[in-house]
Amino acid sequence: MANRGKRGQFIIIAVMLVALMIVSMGALMHNAITYYKHEPWEEYSTLIGDIEINSRKLVELSLASYTNSIGSITIIETNLAKWEEDLVDAYPNRGVTLASSGAQMLNSSQSSTNTATSNAQASFTLNILSIGLEGYTFNVLTSLTLSIKSVTTVDSNMTQVIAVVTSETGMPVTDLGETNFKVENATKVAVSAAYDSASVLEYGILHNGPANATIEVCDQRGISVVVSQM
Amino acid sequence: MRVQDLKNRRGQMRVVETILASFIIVAALSFVGIFAVSPTSPAYEITDLEKMAYSALHDLDQQGLLAPAVYSHSWSDLRTILRITMPNDVYFNLTICKIDGSPIYSGSQILYGDLDTFSEARNVVSISYCLVGIPKFNADGVHNADYDPIILVFTVTRG
Repeated sequence: MANRGKRGQFIIIAVMLVALMIVSMGALMHNAITYYKHEPWEEYSTLIGDIEINSRKLVELSLASYTNSIGSITIIETNLAKWEEDLVDAYPNRGVTLASSGAQMLNSSQSSTNTATSNAQASFTLNILSIGLEGYTFNVLTSLTLSIKSVTTVDSNMTQVIAVVTSETGMPVTDLGETNFKVENATKVAVSAAYDSASVLEYGILHNGPANATIEVCDQRGISVVVSQM
Repeated sequence: MRVQDLKNRRGQMRVVETILASFIIVAALSFVGIFAVSPTSPAYEITDLEKMAYSALHDLDQQGLLAPAVYSHSWSDLRTILRITMPNDVYFNLTICKIDGSPIYSGSQILYGDLDTFSEARNVVSISYCLVGIPKFNADGVHNADYDPIILVFTVTRG
């Protein structure tokens, strides 16, 4: 009888130990889930993000400079070389080194077709010695494409051009207005955006210039592209 | 035989009671854990402030808000954006410098909190963030798209 009672107590102690283990496991799991909060790598991920975002912006800026005839085709290499030097000064104790390669720009605006593209690309390798990061690579490709879908004469003075403007993602650029379009020899230009099932978004450009006028678009990044119609 | 069964069952009930008691304890601890506000560890305060400062500038830059505000010298807008982004108990001071370190702007408009707060605070963090420039438009289109690097020195502390 006494033995049976003791056996019961042992079971209770065993169950209590199991319960204690469950509670301990809960505490361990909580620590494991919230562990990342105390790790310093998150600040470095934003540092990498800063360098990546601004490298992209510099490529866009170089393309904007080139397509607006401010800088030459070598402006991208000059800018990237300066950026690589300046990063060392900007983060003196981090051991940041950025190397770019394959930087090039293309502007097909001169060709007489209904589609023209301005694009730029570069590859980067980033090292941050203070955190042991070595050989982090990223590529930047930026472009602006203007396609003329149709040209319709509305009356003797006015012509309507339907155009599609796309970025490097292949998606249409949505934030363009009248100030973003220029039509050669036109004094009045009205621009409206409309949904299209094929190209998602197309711009209707109503102008009083010649029917085969040269059309230029400049997006919010400053990148320009020109279509000289046949 | 029946008495023996009852005795056995009594032992099982103790086990069941203990299990139920442990469940109640675990449930109570979990419930309390929801409302518990753990104090900020001083050991991680510097790291937390650094992360917060970097993340704030990085997010604003990613959303395309930071560079236009800086290059158009919209200091009060910049202060407002940072006030919205940062928690209320975090004070900040943003200094805008050229790449050689010479300040472009350092005034009270991009300051939240008192300057004494920064000198008296125990944990003050200063981080730097680089910008490369933005295209400048006029009526004829883009007239300037030069590489114009700027460093933002963002100092934060908790009040």
